[in-house]
Amino acid sequence: MIEVKDLVRTYGPFTAVDKISFSVPKGTILGLLGPNGAGKTTSMRVLTTSLPPSAGKVTVAGYDVTDQAQEVRRHIGYLPEIPPIYHDMTLISYLKFVADIREIPQDKKADRIGEVLEMIDLTDVSKRLIGHLSLGYRQRVGLAQALLHDPEVLILDEPTRGLDPKQILEIRKLIKSLSGRKTIILSTHILPEVSSTCDNVVIIDRGKVVAADSVENLSQRLTGGKTLEVQVKGPGAEVERALAKCEGVSAVRPLGKESKGASRFELSTDGSDETREAIFQCVVKNKWALYQLSPVGMSLEEVFVKLTTKEGAS
Amino acid sequence: MSLSWNKIWALAKKEIGYYFASPVGYLVLAAFFFVTGLFFALIVLGSRAASMVPVFQNTVILLLFLTPGITMRLWSEEEKSGTAELLRTSPLTLWEIVLGKYLGVCVFFAVMLSATLVYLLVIVLNGNPDWGPLFANYLGYVLVSLSFFALGLFVSTLSDNQMVSMVLTWVLLLVLWIVGATGNLMTGPVGDFLKSLSIYDQTDDFFKGVIDLTHVLYFLSLIFIGLFFSVKVLESKRS
Repeated sequence: MIEVKDLVRTYGPFTAVDKISFSVPKGTILGLLGPNGAGKTTSMRVLTTSLPPSAGKVTVAGYDVTDQAQEVRRHIGYLPEIPPIYHDMTLISYLKFVADIREIPQDKKADRIGEVLEMIDLTDVSKRLIGHLSLGYRQRVGLAQALLHDPEVLILDEPTRGLDPKQILEIRKLIKSLSGRKTIILSTHILPEVSSTCDNVVIIDRGKVVAADSVENLSQRLTGGKTLEVQVKGPGAEVERALAKCEGVSAVRPLGKESKGASRFELSTDGSDETREAIFQCVVKNKWALYQLSPVGMSLEEVFVKLTTKEGAS
Repeated sequence: MSLSWNKIWALAKKEIGYYFASPVGYLVLAAFFFVTGLFFALIVLGSRAASMVPVFQNTVILLLFLTPGITMRLWSEEEKSGTAELLRTSPLTLWEIVLGKYLGVCVFFAVMLSATLVYLLVIVLNGNPDWGPLFANYLGYVLVSLSFFALGLFVSTLSDNQMVSMVLTWVLLLVLWIVGATGNLMTGPVGDFLKSLSIYDQTDDFFKGVIDLTHVLYFLSLIFIGLFFSVKVLESKRS
């Protein structure tokens, strides 16, 4: 549905986006993740035809963003970084205006506006001036504008910015509910957003793609899901030796002593259930006590920091 | 290139709505009503002549000062508030955007001009005006105003700062206004050329009641140039 191939965008001598490629299959949600200034907004502006690419090929809904920009515009809904709202308009007249420039047929206009107001829970404020609404409301107005013409593709630049925690959950739920029917790209630097809403993730840093995968694969690939944290009550050095001998354990790293004579270790293992059983048996056999045995999953946060700092060091 | 009337009108309505929702619109209307009313009362009623010429001739300079206030925000504001992004990524052509905004200003001007209909009524009820010259007066006045607006719209596309747009519009209109005066100081083809550029010199005949096609063409060209370069500037922003 969305294909980005070797996209380059420069601003004078500055290269904001440097040969990035990714694709978004129909009906899936892609999270575009990266620190501030990584090139997320620039990429989105190219995808939405607001900015032409300097090089590379970008197609949205089968149309080229340079040669068939007008067709692309008909198929996208776009929430820019700053919600594009007119402060001196009432919400309802704003949506009527958007409906007109978005080519919604006159006879369907009122119904569609009602639906979207309902969907984003804005019905109560429809007669108020947008300039008088709070930041969270304005962000939702921006979202309403993007959804109004029921586009196949949604491009959302930080959709939950400025919202309170409850609203964030609602908007994420809304976005999630659109998956399958719509193809969505959302950018964010908030990691839980990606793990809770997206199918796939592309991490960009300084204009380059540093990782692209499904959300589960990405965190698994970096940890292997094979690291265990163990807390055992017993003589530290002896425990360490015994654990190292367990079947399937390749390395033991002491993490320090806890109170009451317990020690913590990080074990690299083959990840099988047998290994975990072996560790348990080993502790029981030596008459020590097992306080904790848990897999260490690297959170997306850690993956992100690891990927982006690795890039920085090179 | 096909233009959608629906979309142009939607944009125009938005601009009109702005003028009637903001103090700027009412200030402009108030200034215009007050000054034209004053001139009408003092001159026309004083001279007892059934003519709008003194009103138009004396207030055309007022338009020069009001225009920047009317047009400065047209594009600058869209760029500043981020709404330009909405217009750029909607299925609108640049001509639709420019014409929509221009039409909005024209409708607002029509409201301004409606005040003069009251003066006209006074003249018609109390005197016997010459309709031919009166029409020429109106035509000249409208053409000057529409040229000002087109140039103001163009200047507004150049900056995302309304104040910069306002000052630049003033400078541009003033230059076009006084270039004839400098032409008067020179002799030969250069002087004639400068005079032919001057808005002031081009309006003269209209207020004498004469419609000269070259003057009409002069103003239509100004309007076209203003709109055309607005489109070109917006186009360059997409690169």
